[in-house]
Amino acid sequence: MSPVSPPVSRIGGQRAMAAIEARRMARHPVFLLGVALGFGVLGLYFVLVTDETGVRVVLTLPLLGAFYIGLTTVIAAALLTRSTEVADEAVATAPGTEAGRTLALAAAGVPPFVAGLVFTVSLVVAAQIVGVAPQEWWFGTLPDWQVWSIVLMCPVACLDGALLGVLTGRWLRFRGASAIVVVALVAITLLGQAPLLETGSSEWRLWVPWAIFSTGDNADGTQTLIAGNPAAYLGYLLALGVLAILGAMWHDPTVRTPRFRAVVAAVALAALALFALAVTTGNHDNRFSDPIPSRVTS
Amino acid sequence: MSVPTSTVSLTGVGKRYGRTVALADVDLTFDRGVTGLLGPNGAGKTTLLRIVATSIAAESGEVRLLGRDPHRSHGEVTAVRRQLGYLPQELGYPSDMTAFGFVEYVAVLKEWNDREDRAREVRRVLGVVGLADQATVRISKLSGGQRRRVGLAQALIGNPQLVVLDEPTTGLDPAQRADLRRALSELGNSSAVLLSTHQTEDVAALCERVVVLAGGTIRFDGAVTDLVATAVGRVWLADEPGEDALVSWRTGTGRHRVVGGTPAPGADLAEPTLEDAYLLMLGPDLRPAHATS
Repeated sequence: MSPVSPPVSRIGGQRAMAAIEARRMARHPVFLLGVALGFGVLGLYFVLVTDETGVRVVLTLPLLGAFYIGLTTVIAAALLTRSTEVADEAVATAPGTEAGRTLALAAAGVPPFVAGLVFTVSLVVAAQIVGVAPQEWWFGTLPDWQVWSIVLMCPVACLDGALLGVLTGRWLRFRGASAIVVVALVAITLLGQAPLLETGSSEWRLWVPWAIFSTGDNADGTQTLIAGNPAAYLGYLLALGVLAILGAMWHDPTVRTPRFRAVVAAVALAALALFALAVTTGNHDNRFSDPIPSRVTS
Repeated sequence: MSVPTSTVSLTGVGKRYGRTVALADVDLTFDRGVTGLLGPNGAGKTTLLRIVATSIAAESGEVRLLGRDPHRSHGEVTAVRRQLGYLPQELGYPSDMTAFGFVEYVAVLKEWNDREDRAREVRRVLGVVGLADQATVRISKLSGGQRRRVGLAQALIGNPQLVVLDEPTTGLDPAQRADLRRALSELGNSSAVLLSTHQTEDVAALCERVVVLAGGTIRFDGAVTDLVATAVGRVWLADEPGEDALVSWRTGTGRHRVVGGTPAPGADLAEPTLEDAYLLMLGPDLRPAHATS
């Protein structure tokens, strides 16, 4: 028996490890539960929820995908991150670094992203087929790029859920940490934006990690399109995701080089800039749709 | 590929945990072949193995592994780790992984990037430890001995030049231990293998050289036969248990095997084993734990 040396390629190694992590996420029971719940509830909405004229009430549903798939993904990704730590002594004496393993774990966000995308496409296609009230297509007043930015928030939120889970798994070692993070995320999202939605400063809600752009039906049958630039906000969400994975990599002391610190600073600045763009551009005021008569409740 | 001389060289190595001295001024060099490390619990074996496996750093002294100083730079330690296989004493496993999946995961970390080559290598090491048939079984469904062999398989990936094994035979049945001995003796032809165990028969069967560690210091370092020779004339078969023996017990023949002390009338000299020599070597350190029966 003679020693066998594999060819060394850092990129090839990262790709192989990323593929393993993506496969593990795709098979993770908590993630699969979230996907089943998301699509199950989506199906039920299409079957059961109609207004008085029989039109489906569906276009506020992108939130469902982010809720069921995105939030369960936080827990699944945290568990995946922690799971290999039980073998840490053997794993840590392999040539790869913890930061490299963390970066590979970012690929665990691919299955949730794809699931969120399929969820959104299913929603849009189904809405086209079964029909929606014309006022509901985000009022027909938004340019397409803004509409698609809103539509894409579901898969991006699912991706960010995985990245937040990796961050949680690396830094919070106590039992139930990921569940606490999920509760905190929901609380911050609700409390951070709800008081601002109907005010003249509604665009400042966009600091939260899952801001809504549409209220769904109001009591008078209208719907509100809330101020802000959805495309810039989508970029802000992506930057937060990148910051989450960089924060997880920061756990490895060997990675904290001046170059890495510069990257973290650059992404943080980009996030701030995108947040500023989201707040200061796009729709400056809330807009209201024409009433959908069948949705008037008062 | 040839193994450089002095694959492992430790000079004056020390390590403390708080006030407890785990290793004190340890000098040790070894090369190709299987070196056995014996010692009672708390002797410092695992600390020594962790230092050789680059898992922890020595606080004092000089460590050279495969001709490199692992504390010098990240590049140096990475170069060592590329040629290192390590089975820790307690290795946990991700519950969602199969035997193949876990070993493949470690293979990726060990830079086996080509999928086909990696799969072939993973199958090879699983075959070496006798787990080829259980490759697709989740580790959580395997027995303790089978899990231990999964851990051993990951340490053997790529036939590393330096292999560090902490209690590799724990949980293995006699047939599995025999298989493991065969695999390790073959590995010892091309690699430096450091093997820590409580099983003296494994050391006697496998190792050309044995190091006995106690209280953080080396008590013996030499050939297995030399250690056994220290017990010649100090082991008897007698009709009565030895009064001042280090240990004695009644054997299946009805006579007592007496290690150390003075021989009883009618006692016959017995051929010592490595275990006898080891017990005599550590003598006073073992007395509280090994009462005469």
